[in-house]
Amino acid sequence: MTTEVVGESSRARRLGGHVVLGLLSLVCVFPIYWLYATSLRAPQDVSSLSVLPWPLSTASYTEAFAKNDVLGMLVNTGVVAVFSALGQLLVALLAAYAFAAWRFPFQRLLYLMFVGTWLVPFQATMLPNYVLLSRLGLLETLAGVIVPTLCSALGVLLLREHLNSFPKELLDAARMDGRTSWSALWTVVVPTLRPALAALGILLAISAWNEYFWPAMVLQRSNAVVQLGLRSFMGTEGNDWGPLMATAGLACLPVFALYLVLQRHIVNAFVRSGLK
Amino acid sequence: MSRIRLQGLTRRFGAVTAVDDMGLDIADGEFLVLLGPSGCGKSTLLRMIAGLLPPTEGRLWLGDTDITHLPPQRRDVAMVFQSYALYPHLSVASNIGFPLRTRKRPRAEIRAKVAEVAATLDLTGLLDRKPRELSGGQRQRVALGRALVRDPGAFLMDEPLSNLDAKLRAGTRAEIAELHRRLRTTTVYVTHDQVEAMTMATRIALLNEGRLEQLGTPSEVYDAPASVFAATFLGSPAMNVVDATVRSVDGVLRAEAEGLLLSLGIEADIPDRPVRLGVRPEHLTLTPAGKQGIRAVVTAVENLGSEEVAQCRAGHTAVSVRGPRPLGVTSGEAVTLAARPDRLHLFDQNSGRRLAWQAASVPEPV
Repeated sequence: MTTEVVGESSRARRLGGHVVLGLLSLVCVFPIYWLYATSLRAPQDVSSLSVLPWPLSTASYTEAFAKNDVLGMLVNTGVVAVFSALGQLLVALLAAYAFAAWRFPFQRLLYLMFVGTWLVPFQATMLPNYVLLSRLGLLETLAGVIVPTLCSALGVLLLREHLNSFPKELLDAARMDGRTSWSALWTVVVPTLRPALAALGILLAISAWNEYFWPAMVLQRSNAVVQLGLRSFMGTEGNDWGPLMATAGLACLPVFALYLVLQRHIVNAFVRSGLK
Repeated sequence: MSRIRLQGLTRRFGAVTAVDDMGLDIADGEFLVLLGPSGCGKSTLLRMIAGLLPPTEGRLWLGDTDITHLPPQRRDVAMVFQSYALYPHLSVASNIGFPLRTRKRPRAEIRAKVAEVAATLDLTGLLDRKPRELSGGQRQRVALGRALVRDPGAFLMDEPLSNLDAKLRAGTRAEIAELHRRLRTTTVYVTHDQVEAMTMATRIALLNEGRLEQLGTPSEVYDAPASVFAATFLGSPAMNVVDATVRSVDGVLRAEAEGLLLSLGIEADIPDRPVRLGVRPEHLTLTPAGKQGIRAVVTAVENLGSEEVAQCRAGHTAVSVRGPRPLGVTSGEAVTLAARPDRLHLFDQNSGRRLAWQAASVPEPV
């Protein structure tokens, strides 16, 4: 009898949990649904509040493509996301390896200073970075968007934690087998840390893809990346909702595709980073 | 030529001296076991020989080459780690071939050498597997294979059997010993397991608190321990050690303490001297009460299968007796324990070092 009661109550609790989760996911998914629904409405129905976009129309997409080089913007954003993520991974890997595998004077102090840069708000470094880019002649270039992001305290922090739990005997074994520290990094550490590197890489690529503020500062005269392209549909006389939603919808697609293919790694990335 | 020589090798970590002024001469082809309790410095010493840890002081030679300051990759030694340290992303074949790929040997040569080593270690069917798909014993053999494949001047092994279960450990112990007999490569083997040390070593270096306590063949270390530490570290149960006084009575030396009277069988006339008296549990015999010996009370009898161990109490000291089963005593029984004079060990009460004495020849009981 007792077991039945316990079984029933646990089933009810599980059902309750599912209802809550279902409601929460509805709240999360609805804005995205609305974005695509609006982008597929006919131009005269854009402000309609009907849940189903009917009749369907691709007019907003046609207009978005006519007004902006959407494909070019997507490619540029992809370039920024990929180079920014790869660059951050490389810098973070080298720094984290040095901090975890080597012993040198002031190591702890240097590490704390490195990680401390994470606590400095973006707004505090924004202007010095902007002035520096201006002197280097990198304003209005994609390189200007990428370079200041390359040293990521988050990446160093996460990879160093991974490397600290990395079996030191493997590094010793590689040295006994004749590898130098540099060679051991590429032939032993990197292949073993592949899941962690993939997870961090995805996390960095997604955040670079979604970045708006910094590209907006560097690329003031162009709409080279897609998040900036959205600006062109927003005007003082009102917003052009149809093409705005169509472009935003297109901007989300690569992230969704990445998510579908690498679902496990992405969840892993967020769990590992302990963020969001 | 892979004789290994250590001279005054010392390693300090801050105020702690892990290895203190170590001098050893390991002959070519020898199987030297570094034995000692946890924290005695044996792994630190091995890592210094490997080149993974620079010594604070002292020098180190491999053959005629001074390797004190050479990095591990330039020393002709291979190491087997306690955790095996197999590269998890590589197959068994790639793990074994890893040191050869580092040395940029031709592929065909690597393949042939890996196949040869795999056949020696019975790994041929497992070459395509990843380490995570192997049992503990198989991983251990792959780690051995990775060391073997290089044909090194010396093998360094850091407790390679400690992660195996008892049965596998016994089997692998025999395999390593057999491999050494076949290859005759100088081997330095670290363990805290006295059975491994006794069965595999050509010589044992017993370490205590970073210092060399005794160096000798397994028989020498067991039969003539150089100190109380060596006496009580080797042997199970440990050697019985009691405080006693050596006294000359009627021109014959004997050891005395409360409830203890044992003849040392030496004719001499010396002033009384406090000592520590040691006798192994298997050298104690049960004799009829009243005669000279150690008077004790049995507190427990442990059944080891073929043998029994009687735990006894003699005054305030615990004494154990080991013999073929059944010993014929029960818990609570008063017994007298005797030992032949040549089975008694005397140690200095202050330094704990062995006192040399000449035992008189004792006729075997008829």
